[in-house]
Formats: sequence, C-alpha cells, structure tokens
Amino acid sequence: MAAVSDFIAIVGERNTITEGSELRTYEADGLPGFRVRPAVVVLPETTEQVAACVRLARTLGLPIVPRGSGTGLSGGALPVEGCVVIGLSRMKAILEVDLPNRRMRVQPGVINLNISRHLAAAGYYYAPDPSSQSVCSIGGNVAENSGGAHCLKYGFTVNHAVGATIVTADGDIVSVGAHGGEPDTLGYDLMGVFVGSEGLLGIVTEVVVRILRTPQATRTIFATFPTTDEAGAAVSAIISAGIVPAAIEMMDQLAIEAIVAATRVDWPLDVGAALLMDVDGVFAEVEHTAESAIGALRAAGAIEIRSPRDDGERALMWKGRKGAFAAMGRISPNYYVQDGVIPRKEIVPVLRDIARLASEAGLRVANVFHAGDGNLHPLILYDGRIPGQEALAERVGGEILKTCIRYGGSITGEHGVGFDKAAYMGDLFTEDDLATMQFVRCAFDRDVIFNPNKVFPTPRLCGDRPGVYHPHATELAEVAGRG
Amino acid sequence: MTIAGVAPRNAVTPSGIGELAGVVRELYADGKPFAFVGGGTELELGNAPLALDTVVATTACNRVIDYAPEDQTITVEAGMTVAAVCAALAEHHQFLALDVPDPERTTIGGAIATNAYGRRRLRFGSIKDNIVGIAIVRPDGVTARGGGKVVKNVAGFDIPKLMVGALGTLGAVVSATFRVHPCSEYSAAVALRKLTAGDVLRVCAEVVNAALVPTSIVAFDNGGERYDCVVAFDGFRGGVDEQVRSTTDIAERLHFGASQPSPAELDLLEARERSARCEAPWRVQLGAAPTKLAQFLTQNDVSGIGRIYYPAIGSAILTGNDMSAATIERWRNDLNAGTVVVAAMPLDARGTVDAWGAPPPSWPIMRQLKTNFDPKGLCNPGRFVGGI
Repeated sequence: MAAVSDFIAIVGERNTITEGSELRTYEADGLPGFRVRPAVVVLPETTEQVAACVRLARTLGLPIVPRGSGTGLSGGALPVEGCVVIGLSRMKAILEVDLPNRRMRVQPGVINLNISRHLAAAGYYYAPDPSSQSVCSIGGNVAENSGGAHCLKYGFTVNHAVGATIVTADGDIVSVGAHGGEPDTLGYDLMGVFVGSEGLLGIVTEVVVRILRTPQATRTIFATFPTTDEAGAAVSAIISAGIVPAAIEMMDQLAIEAIVAATRVDWPLDVGAALLMDVDGVFAEVEHTAESAIGALRAAGAIEIRSPRDDGERALMWKGRKGAFAAMGRISPNYYVQDGVIPRKEIVPVLRDIARLASEAGLRVANVFHAGDGNLHPLILYDGRIPGQEALAERVGGEILKTCIRYGGSITGEHGVGFDKAAYMGDLFTEDDLATMQFVRCAFDRDVIFNPNKVFPTPRLCGDRPGVYHPHATELAEVAGRG
Repeated sequence: MTIAGVAPRNAVTPSGIGELAGVVRELYADGKPFAFVGGGTELELGNAPLALDTVVATTACNRVIDYAPEDQTITVEAGMTVAAVCAALAEHHQFLALDVPDPERTTIGGAIATNAYGRRRLRFGSIKDNIVGIAIVRPDGVTARGGGKVVKNVAGFDIPKLMVGALGTLGAVVSATFRVHPCSEYSAAVALRKLTAGDVLRVCAEVVNAALVPTSIVAFDNGGERYDCVVAFDGFRGGVDEQVRSTTDIAERLHFGASQPSPAELDLLEARERSARCEAPWRVQLGAAPTKLAQFLTQNDVSGIGRIYYPAIGSAILTGNDMSAATIERWRNDLNAGTVVVAAMPLDARGTVDAWGAPPPSWPIMRQLKTNFDPKGLCNPGRFVGGI
C-alpha cells in the first residue's frame, strides 16, 4: 500500500505499526472503555521525521493524533477513525543541561521523573510531579499542562515548560517560547497557549524546561482525622492562614484501605481521612512552617500527627499516595476516575455532595486528591461485570463535574478535557468563549487535522474551510488493508 | 493624550464592561480604528499605531468582582489600579505579586497588556504565573472568557496567558482573576557594593547554590561602571535571618563588602527604580539568559547609561537622555537570543528604530492569530511586534 510504504520511507519499518497486538496498544490511552483502531502508527526519532509524517498525513488527508506515553486519563491520545498516530516515545534524548541559567532541553519522549533523576547529583530537579511521573513523558505533560502534588507551591507544567520546538499542521518546524533562558519572548505568548492545548495545536518535538535548586530541607507530615469534614477543614485552615506547604494531599478511608493493601505502608485503617503534606524551603523556615501547619491540623481535630521515621518511610508514603489509583484494584474490580476542581474553601460541602451522589447510585467513591489546590479525584468504584454499573459510574462522574461547576470550579484540573469531557465544555464556557478558543486553534491548524473531535463539544470549522477530515472508505481500506 | 506619538480623534470612558463592549462593537461595525488605555503609564510602548480614531479607557471599570481571601484568589475589573487592588488585599494580609513603578495609576488591564513585572518576579513569577482567569472584549465587541476562578484548571486553551503582553491587539482585557499570596511577617536585605556585572551574577549563582530563596535581587548602577546589589528576603523571621546570614557569608567569601541597608536607603533605591521605569526619555528593556545578559553588560560600554539590573531574572532596564537607533541595533546584534525592547523613546526618534526588533520565527502564527481575532485590523493596528 502506497501510504504505509511512504510512512516507512520516513521513519523506517521498525517504527511503523500497522497490525497485530502492537497496533492494539495504540487503540486507547489511560481512559478506559474506549478503543479506536488507528490506520497506522508511526514512531519518529527526529523532528524532521515528525515534520515529514505530518506533511504526508496532510497530503493523504489523514487526521493526526499525537501521543506521548499514552498515560493520559481523558482520552487525549485516543485515536480517531482512520487516523495516523504519531507517537513520540522514541524521542527520549536529554539534549542540553544549562545549570547556570537553570534550563534544560529535552526531547518529548523523556519520562518526567528522568529529568529530576538526571539532575539529582547536581542538586537540581524539575518541579511538576504528576502521579504517573515514572511513566509519563514531558511531551505529554506539555500537551496536558500536567500538575501533580507539589504544584501547590511550585506551579504546573505551564509555569515550567518555557520553550518548545513544534511541528505545525503544515509540517513546518517552528520554535515557540524562550529557548535560551531569556525571561520573555517577543509577541504573543504562543508557548503559554500551546501548553495544555491537548495535541490540537501541533506536535512538540523539543521542550525547554526551567529547573529548580533542590530545597535545603523537606519535612513530611502525615495526619489522620475522624472524617473528611475535619480533614477538609484542616486544609482550608492551612491555606487561609497563609501557610504555604509544597503539597497537601487528602485520602479518605477507602483510599487509605486500598493504599495500605497495595504498599503495606503503616497507616491506620480505622480513620475517616488522612492528609499527607510536604513542607520545604530553608531549614529555619521549614521548621516554622511545619509547626504552624501542625498547629492548624491539631486545631482542626487531627487524631494523630506524625512524620515518617526516615527517608525510606517518606518515600513509601509518597509512593502510596502516587500509586493510589492503581491500588483501587485491591478493593474494586473497576473504577472511574474524575478530575474536578473547586474553590479550596468548599472541600467539605463538595465531598458531602459526592458522598450523597454515590450513595444514591448505590456505588462507593474513594477520594484521593490534591487538597491544597482544590483538585478532586473521586474514584467511583464499580463492577464492570454487573450490567449497567459502568454507565452508572460514568453518570455519577458527570454529576460530580456539574457539582464542581456549581461551586465555581472547573471540569478538569490536570487530566485534560480530551475526548472524555468535551461534552461538558458547554457547561463551563459560553458559545462565545468556545468560538474565541477556535480563533486560537485555527491560527495553528486551519484544517483541523490535529486531534479532531477532542476538547470542543461539537466539530467546528475554521472560517469557511473544511473541518474535520473524513477519509473516504476506500482510502481507509487501502491503508488498513495492506499494513 | 497620544499613543506612541499618535493622537486619537476621540476618547471615551465607558461606565462599565457592558457599555465598553457596546462602544467597541459600534467602532468595529463602523470600521473605525481604536485602542484601549488604562492608567496611561505605558503609552509610549510599541510602534506608532497605523491608524487611530478612538481611544477607549477602561478606568471606569474598576470594581472588585469577587475576593475570596480564604481561597487566595481575587477577581477584579481591569480598570482598577494596582494600588486599589493591593489595598483591598491588604485588609486580609495578602498581596498581588505584581511590581509596577506607578501603582496609583497603572491599571490591572494595562499591567496585563504590557506584561509588567519587576523585582519580585524572581520569587513569585510574572503575571503569567499568577493569572488564572480573564474576560476580554474582542475587537468585534463580543465578550469572552478563558480560564476560571480556581487556581488549578486546564479546561480549554489558556486565553489568559495569550492576553498577557498582547498590548491590547487581540481585544480589551476587562476583568481578571489572580492567585494572591499571604504577606510575610518579616523582611530584610543585604546590600553588596561596587560589583561588576560578572560579580553580580556570581552572587546570584552562590545564592542559588546555597538553596536560598530570595524575593528579589536588584543591581543598580552606582553612577559609574559598577553596581550596588540588593538581595532581599521575606518570610518568617528565623528563616529570613538565616538567609541574610548566609548571604553575608557568601559576600565575605567572595571578598565583597556587604551590609544590611537602612530602610531609608532601600526607599531611595526603590525610588530610583521607579523613576528609571517611568521618567527617562529613552527606556530600553533587555531580556536574555542571565549569563548572556551579564556578558553583554560586561562587554558593552554602558557606563554613561542608567541601569536597573535584575540579574537572576535575566532582565535589565537601560535608561538615558540620549540614545540612538544605531545603539539599539548594535545591542540587538550583541545580545542575540534575547530581546531589546524600546519601552520609551523621544518623539523625534520614532520611525528611526522599531520598538520591538525583528519578529520571532513563529510570527506567521501570531499574524494569523491577529487576523482571526481582528479580521478588519482595527484594534490597535501596527503597534505590536512585526507590525501586528
């Protein structure tokens, strides 16, 4: 088949996938329940190869779905029918470390945690730390504007990814943002808008990130509470008292149970909620902030407050928190994760509303989330073998999102809109808001070839240009049939 | 009032956001070119507009829309002055991390449009790091929002960031939501004197290396070639004292004279910083990697030029009564991979030098953005980068 051989001519046979179990890997990302077979998957190794693949896809009229590690939870890398998936996982070189200017240039397939590992000996690190940081890629982080526990103090990917090389919808290689350590660039902040654009504006092939000096000291505090009410009140008290921890994470009883089962971390099972908190900075400041935070925890009704005995226990506690989603397998056959945001002062009433929604539906919900940011992750537990339960879980998830909007929040804090939540964008934004975002999209991709049918609730056109490309059935058959 | 030397035919001050949108809608329908103005403190920034019929002032849109101190967020209309926002926040012992030289006049909308920042960017980031939501009136008069009121949010494209530094060429910023910060209980600073630009950079490197967390590092030219450098800390007293001690130790190790400046001296230096940013006939803002900027300041003869230097940010403001287009072009060549923006120039110099310099390689995307937002090209036309 002409098309496949053309892709092979660009990236080589070993980097072109058209069939079998390997292709199935690319039919879905971290959003369960959806699978779409792409026409072809290519795994380029250079920026030029990415550009050539985009140009070829354009010539062939194939939609393009970019993909990093495929860990996204909103279906951002879910293929669309007949598309070419351009996977960046083979572009994983660290290109440059500039310690004096505290910048680093990496390829998009570099795993988030490997950036910090690479810098550890020099005493530096990369701040955004999504829970999937041992497997998710920096390119995916840029697409999703990924967060993480320590974003409370240090900000999100958009605050740390300052420059990029991107391949545009025309197959041009363009530099956006600051590449050389300069504080700003001339003109519109294209990098600012590219971060978090969920693969709709282009494909990132190099990323320049800010790196930070490792703090003098970090103190971890673990506290338990009778119910999520007291834990939520403790978080609100800490934030409103002006205490700035690096992270405050909350886990409810079900989440604790799952984490303990998965990691054997020494946490009590007979409590209603727990907070895991990091305080960092210069030595004297850390001690002071930690004592203030402990005072607030105690005043809010903490049962037990303790710090890990050593670095090993600290690592285990954080491993438990970051592995919480996967740990749900210990207490439920299936789960559906939500990612809503609320004002931080509203944690207590919203958690009550979530509990009510779950109980009305006859389902259990575990909560494990970035409490300091008000970024909730309710995990709706269900049994996929029971007919109708999956749909019920999704419905509860949708109601939770609407609750977040009602409290003045958002439908996603870090997982992205992707395919999963496009339908809710209209609840959060007006038609005019969404049309304005289309001005941005169409400036980058007038023919909507990148990631069509994601983020926006209805397919849209750029001016009078054709919109989402629907390849002809024979064309599809040709590509799919000869791989 | 003139904008980059051009006087408008009309000036209007709508009484609220709804009225402002109506005015803009009408101007757009009538094909009349317009520009937005806040406190009018940065009207010299950028190139002369290609055409200008009406200036629309945001200053009467000046209410606090929503302040949630326990959430550390505030939503304000864009015509509020920075000082008024700070006053509202001070009641709850909070502040907006935004340094402008004339807070009594500078509006929030103007600060966003010009990407204003100052010394505390080092610790708290720029407006881009603190803005979480925005409402704009587009060039066609339609009101649109981006972001939200919560500190963490990835729904939709980041329209707030796109508006920061866009100089009102994509529409008027009419309201914005920011994350704000708790005030600290104690501040102190260390002053190091008679340093070269290279010495200043070395101090920065040592401070970072010691994992100290300064709020700001500012170096002022001392009238000649050298600099007096102030490293400031805020926070809990014990932590600040510890960092002051560490900085003093660093200075001693490097054999630089160090002392804790008196409040009067700090006030004087701040006044110098303000006047450099507001008053000089020529004001040129340099931005480059910290090492490149230090190298530039070392290799160029800038001894007769006023310098406010933010070494760790990679930014400097050069001021003078008498500069020339040739000097600016030379600096642009020398700095390479940085920005040299002329923030103010005398009227007779207009037209001799582009305020921004050569547009970046991504300019065609910017041009298309502008066309999509403003197909008739009526909103502040020609003033921005590359003639946008």
